[in-house]
Amino acid sequence: MISLQNVSKAFSGQPVIQSVALSIEQGEIHGIIGASGAGKSTLLRLMNLLERPDTGRIEFDGMDLTNLSNRQLRQTRQNIGMIFQDFNLVGNKTVEQNIAVSLELSGVKKREWTNRIEECLRFVGLESFARKYPSELSGGQKQRVAIARALANRPRVLLCDEPTSSLDPSTTSEILRVLQNINQALGVTIVLVSHEMQVIQSICNRVTIMADGQIETTIATEPAGITEITSDAGWFLTQLTERRDPHA
Amino acid sequence: MPDIVLEYAAEIRLAIGQTFVMVGISILAALLLGLPLGTWLYLSRKGQLLSNQFVFSILNLFVNTIRSFPFLLLVVFLIPFTRLIIGTAIGTAAATVPLAVIAIAHYSRLVEQSLLEVPKGVIEAAVSMGASTREVVLKFLFVEARSGLVLGLTTSIVSFISYSTIMGVVGGGGIGDFAVRYGYQQFQTELMLYMILIMVILVQLIQFTGTTAARLLDKR
Repeated sequence: MISLQNVSKAFSGQPVIQSVALSIEQGEIHGIIGASGAGKSTLLRLMNLLERPDTGRIEFDGMDLTNLSNRQLRQTRQNIGMIFQDFNLVGNKTVEQNIAVSLELSGVKKREWTNRIEECLRFVGLESFARKYPSELSGGQKQRVAIARALANRPRVLLCDEPTSSLDPSTTSEILRVLQNINQALGVTIVLVSHEMQVIQSICNRVTIMADGQIETTIATEPAGITEITSDAGWFLTQLTERRDPHA
Repeated sequence: MPDIVLEYAAEIRLAIGQTFVMVGISILAALLLGLPLGTWLYLSRKGQLLSNQFVFSILNLFVNTIRSFPFLLLVVFLIPFTRLIIGTAIGTAAATVPLAVIAIAHYSRLVEQSLLEVPKGVIEAAVSMGASTREVVLKFLFVEARSGLVLGLTTSIVSFISYSTIMGVVGGGGIGDFAVRYGYQQFQTELMLYMILIMVILVQLIQFTGTTAARLLDKR
């Protein structure tokens, strides 16, 4: 579905990605893990050309993205949703307006907006939050709105750039469950970048390990399942007891 | 109403009218040309959507140069240009030309600053959704920066009022000119104080309106 061939990218002379080849298969949840600075976020951002490669091909459905006109590229991007560590919602727009702008960009007719927005919000479990502003939401809720916004265009792939890295553990499992659900119920291919092994292990079918701008290996794995953490208080308590034990 | 103000009521009304025309044209120029210019300044910066070092340098130089003129000298310097556009360099209409020029330069810088405060991630999200540069600006940047844009315009308007007070040098009239001619040059200090009072009230009203609007617009 997405294929990178011999892709390299440097920032002001410093190589960040060095002749990388990678193929993302239809329907999988593909994890990309590595230490910070390994180039995993850049690799992800190359997949929708938020970063342009210096050399190499980036194919989506067999089309080389680097050869598309601006207009074609914008249309293709509507098939590739993306969510971010910092959510990147428009703070001056309500939840429904944030989703509506995505529909507007892809040319969905105005009379369909209400239904589509409702559908997306129901999917992420935030039906009653349509009129709220992002500042009134928790981090996990903001990320779910961002997911709803990315889903509104009915993309075929969802690129996730450290989507749980600003969230606490219980919210993390909540978001991972939403992502897994998107993959299973809607058949959306997911590429998930994270520096947390637990996150990657829990839902990915294949994992690519990066170091120093290169791919070490790509392995098939069995998703380990999402660790249940039922309440923040419970998690906090375990942290406290763990910390106290040595001195007890 | 004090007697002295009533005595000059007609002139004062005329002067207030002239100030409103001069400031009004400045605001229009700021919005119609300063806003696009400031947006372009922002977009042509390194790392932004229309990043172009050459364009940025030219725009930046233009804005800096205009703003570094002492305003009185800018008025004199622009006389040939004013004559070209208006046909005369004297009068309220002619006075609007240098005012419009400084208004564009002044507001464009404040626009650039407000836009720089929009998190880069919001723009990236817009681009990843397939937004064109135009759509990024109209549907994301301006929406997210709107309270800063309003506050910047408020600051600009207060400056425009101040700039307009010296337009007496080219026969532009206005409250400032009236205060100088009748209040200062004819030793009617009381009359001058009343004019200052009018300006103070005007600025207070504008600042209050601007601050309130910006607060109501900010949902972040």
